[in-house]
Amino acid sequence: MILPLEIQNLRKTYKGSAVEAVKGVTFTVNGGEIFGLLGPNGAGKTTIISSITTLEQPTSGTVKVFGVDVCKDPMFTKKQIGVVHQEVINSGFFDVEEILEFHSGYYGLRKNTERIHFLLNKLALYEHRHKKVKQLSGGMKRRLMIAKALVHNPKLLLLDEPTAGVDIRLREDLWVFVRELRNEGMSILLTTHYLEEAEELCDRVGIINLGSLVELGNTKEIIRQYTHKKIRVVMTENVALQTPYLTEVVGKEYFFIVPQNKTLGEFINEVGIPTHLIKDVQIEEGDLEEAFLKLVSSKEVQAPL
Amino acid sequence: MTGFVTIFHREIARFLKVIVQTVITPFVSSFLYLLIFGVSLGEQMSTHQGVNYLSFLIPGLMMMGLINNAFQNSSSSIVSSKFSGDLEDLRVAPVTDREIIWAMSLGSLVRGTLVALITYIVGSLFMLYQHGQWLTVAHPLITLFFTVVAGLIFGMIGISVAFWATSFDQLSAFSAFILLPLTYLGGVFLSIEHLHPFWQMVSKFNPLLYLINGLRYGILGVSDVNIWTATLISLLGFLFFYVMAHWSLKKGSFQRW
Repeated sequence: MILPLEIQNLRKTYKGSAVEAVKGVTFTVNGGEIFGLLGPNGAGKTTIISSITTLEQPTSGTVKVFGVDVCKDPMFTKKQIGVVHQEVINSGFFDVEEILEFHSGYYGLRKNTERIHFLLNKLALYEHRHKKVKQLSGGMKRRLMIAKALVHNPKLLLLDEPTAGVDIRLREDLWVFVRELRNEGMSILLTTHYLEEAEELCDRVGIINLGSLVELGNTKEIIRQYTHKKIRVVMTENVALQTPYLTEVVGKEYFFIVPQNKTLGEFINEVGIPTHLIKDVQIEEGDLEEAFLKLVSSKEVQAPL
Repeated sequence: MTGFVTIFHREIARFLKVIVQTVITPFVSSFLYLLIFGVSLGEQMSTHQGVNYLSFLIPGLMMMGLINNAFQNSSSSIVSSKFSGDLEDLRVAPVTDREIIWAMSLGSLVRGTLVALITYIVGSLFMLYQHGQWLTVAHPLITLFFTVVAGLIFGMIGISVAFWATSFDQLSAFSAFILLPLTYLGGVFLSIEHLHPFWQMVSKFNPLLYLINGLRYGILGVSDVNIWTATLISLLGFLFFYVMAHWSLKKGSFQRW
């Protein structure tokens, strides 16, 4: 099966640098999915994006877009890709509509007005189409970057931190839009600092730290595997409980941290909580942030200094 | 092909957006050069190669304007794109290096030719005023040839320098320390016949001498150098800088500053 993106053992060492920025990363983006690449600053996310867009040449390894090596037939692969760069591009000479027209031309599309107007409307930029980039707000600039990436209707969209500096309402609008694109069949690679965003949007995630992938898989499974449930049990009277899960007792409230794979029934039975004395139970599920921090910090300990 | 047309269109649109800086300023400087050197000082100068000094000066100033503006058009377009970050778009989009080089050099040629044409018209008006005759072009095809080749060469030099430059300083250093001396010493204002034989010989190593004299031959029918030598050297220069521009795109940086 031809995958939108296949990265095999990608390595990159920048000229003049002793450190490998990407150390043998392998992953795929499957058709119609949103794949999240998560990692702290300097983890190598942008280098991976740059290798896909041929802005950087890999030191070794292969990057294939729809089965074609990006180094062997870049003209084909570039046409399939839309990319939203991390930093806002601030073209000083032209207005929003002109920028999108020129950008369409780079992709071989002349008179792309219909698509451009559709995107301007979709991204709430239509009224600002005659403004220069510097006259736009931070959020509008971001949306312009997204519109640029979509003028040629790409099959694979690379979003490098698309919601950095965007307010919460707009971020949620963008999430809706990204999901719509996915539902239309676009495959999306997203890098983000916002773990909430990745948890909300991504079908699968890869967690990268210091140039290596430390975990790769289904978002929900990773959360299940690397997080704990926090359980708060309120009793009608105090009971003596001997269990390593118990972290704190405040009055008649008992706080436990329990592995995700344990069901509530198993937990109650194992700890021996008398059910007739339970007044209330609250369960707080783990999130991606917890899993991420665990994975990233464990790797940092192993990393040579 | 659409990529090429788009970049070419963008290059023209860009310099037209800042027309005061790109076309009007060269017009003012040509006007002043012609007024001071051509008209005022020219009356006291002997004739050069059988033509009056004002008409000798006009092709030199045309080539100087052409070269400078062609160089500045491509180089400042690339450098400002590096500054704003949209140069990366060109690397990410499916446009070939050849499309980028041709579109940008042709954009440079258009701006350079516009400035040269303005200089020609202003110069001719001075000629009409002072000598009662319009400056006619002796060899239109040769004029066209040297205009096109010089515009493309300096567009490509602009591309090469801008891709390697890592700051605005480096770009202006190239203009001030290489381009300006070579232009001034390349026979814009004086025939090299008036130089000491040693400096005449040194001047023959200045490639700009051949472009300037080529255009002068095209317009006036007189030249310090053999026209075939000038043609050959210009074509070799074109090939050299075409290869150089390709190499710069391959090895230079598209990254933003």
